[in-house]
Amino acid sequence: MADVRLQAVRKTFGVLDVIKGVDLDIRAGEFVVFVGPSGCGKSTLLRMIAGLEDISEGTLTIGGQTMNDVDPSQRGIAMVFQSYALYPHMTVRENMGFALRFAGMDKQEIARRVQSAARILELEPLLERKPKALSGGQRQRVAIGRAIVRNPKVFLFDEPLSNLDAELRVHMRVEIARLHKELKTTVIYVTHDQVEAMTLADKIVVLRAGQVEQVGAPLDLYDDPANLFVAGFIGAPRINVFTGQVTARLPGAAEVRLDGFAERRLVIPLTGEAPAEGTEIRLGIRPEHLTEGGAESLPIEIDMFEHLGGETFAYGRSRSGETIIVSTRNGRHLKAGQVLAAGFDASKALLFDAAGLRIR
Amino acid sequence: MSLSATTPVTGAPARPFLRHLERAGLYLALSVAAFLSVFPFLWMLVSATNSSGEIIRGKLGLGDQFWINLDNFMTQVDLPLVMWNSAKVAVLSTVLTIAVSSLAGYGFEMFRSKMRERLYSLVLLTLMVPFAALMIPLFMMIGQAGLINTHIAILLPSIASAFIIFYFRQATKAFPTELRDAARVDGLKEWQIFLFIYVPVMRSTYAAAFVIVFMTSWNNYLWPLIVLQSNETKTITLVVSALASAYYPDFGVVMIGTILATLPTLIVFFVMQRQFVAGMLGSVK
Ligand SMILES: Nc1ncnc2c1ncn2[C@@H]1O[C@H](COP(=O)(O)OP(=O)(O)O)[C@@H](O)[C@H]1O
Ligand SMILES: [Mg+2]
Repeated sequence: MADVRLQAVRKTFGVLDVIKGVDLDIRAGEFVVFVGPSGCGKSTLLRMIAGLEDISEGTLTIGGQTMNDVDPSQRGIAMVFQSYALYPHMTVRENMGFALRFAGMDKQEIARRVQSAARILELEPLLERKPKALSGGQRQRVAIGRAIVRNPKVFLFDEPLSNLDAELRVHMRVEIARLHKELKTTVIYVTHDQVEAMTLADKIVVLRAGQVEQVGAPLDLYDDPANLFVAGFIGAPRINVFTGQVTARLPGAAEVRLDGFAERRLVIPLTGEAPAEGTEIRLGIRPEHLTEGGAESLPIEIDMFEHLGGETFAYGRSRSGETIIVSTRNGRHLKAGQVLAAGFDASKALLFDAAGLRIR
Repeated sequence: MSLSATTPVTGAPARPFLRHLERAGLYLALSVAAFLSVFPFLWMLVSATNSSGEIIRGKLGLGDQFWINLDNFMTQVDLPLVMWNSAKVAVLSTVLTIAVSSLAGYGFEMFRSKMRERLYSLVLLTLMVPFAALMIPLFMMIGQAGLINTHIAILLPSIASAFIIFYFRQATKAFPTELRDAARVDGLKEWQIFLFIYVPVMRSTYAAAFVIVFMTSWNNYLWPLIVLQSNETKTITLVVSALASAYYPDFGVVMIGTILATLPTLIVFFVMQRQFVAGMLGSVK
């Protein structure tokens, strides 16, 4: 268990800026998830922590020690790769013990650690097999086992579940969460899947184009996103976004008009100062906050449904053309072509400026 | 190596006659091809049992001259020495070529550098230069180094093989970079990753390269002919060819020589056949 700290960390590949100055504090024992769209630099940042990529600028400390120029094997980390990266010419047992054997550890101690990791991960019957003879889920567990035996201070995972089918993914997600509870080691976990991020993380770091957009607990990011990007990335189905303008500044609130609903005035409560009259705004309302009934309501013509049984997603269009998703628990009676009075509580609506920054 | 790729895919069973005809044509063509490639080999075996005169007259049946031919061959040729020379040169040059060229292929694929592709093109360019054009300057270099009549003269020019470098670089493209990352996290240095991870993972690639280089080296004729002039250093290809170009060549003896010269490559091939095929298909699956 160790804390990890990044200060003004940058990475350039030639002329390409991939990580553009990241500051991050990860507490000992925390489960931190880096999430963001493909190509935003999640893997690069993780590999810099692992020591597989040089740090162009800034400092990395693990457990209080500066690690910028320390060999990967000396950083007290263990990594689980997306492709599992098991050594194909070694058995499961040899794979798990390899790093220890290489570090010159006592044979009996290696056997003990491999045995105990195999028991935790239910790999005991597979120890003499080669990776080729294992299923995807089993390989994944071996990769995790190989990390566990090293007794690392920090676990690094790079999209460990993305090669598994949906069912196994859910299963392994639960396993990883359980493992973290048991081992209480610091975990840094990379994924592009916001569901994985929401379910696993103590703390989510949302990355975009090499920069941190927001850091926070899953539900804090969900309830209180710092900008439209985070609001759009966290939460499924995606948050609905309406364009509009401020029509009046009220005490502790802004009165707004939405494009396509010109006749309505919505009063959005704010804790800070409301923007000036006429300012372009974006209003974000999550699908589950947009249901039948509620203080405010918008008429939306529905053109498609997804009935999931317990819940229904109704897809429609605002009169200015944006796709609107309404989520409802009793939507079986809805018909296409129907105009739904989609209601919401103004306190649940999120106000952003034209650049996408949150107005609180 | 498998014929299934050329077998016609006949979906409908409606036309059995046409299908059989197609089959028959295919087998006929394959038989002709097989005959053409095997016949010279058979002829060599058969001829070793006939006298030189019978061979010249074109006798195709088995004869009774085998032991006589063998006896003549053994009196004319110091077989153990010649075989030892050939084996020494072939094994050493194979091991050295593969060690050096696989390292180069691995390096070219694994390490990024500005000069990488330019340097690599230069290496590939040497494939375009025919050996005949290099022969004279190479001979002069070897001569100046005082290496004429030594086996080093054959080993040195063969070690960095552009083709084998190319072959290893291509094969390395299938070697997962995450494996190298995992090994680095496990504490291996670059040379250890190469030795303990890359080499075992790529073993069928190595096997295929071994077969290719060993055969080329064993059968190598022109360059040894130029630099090996003393009888103590000559390899079997040189000796057999010398028998064949004598004023009155005894073809029965020559055939014994060619059989003996072919035998080691055959053994190497059959021992490593499975690995060879796997290596040609790629080590990493
Ligand atoms: N070795 C490299 N050389 C040049 N560019 C790279 C290298 N590795 C990654 N990149 C670039 O850095 C960006 C971030 O990559 P990566 O960290 O893999 O993204 P993610 O894991 O978030 O999908 C991408 O645009 C990628 O093309
Ligand atoms: Mg990635």
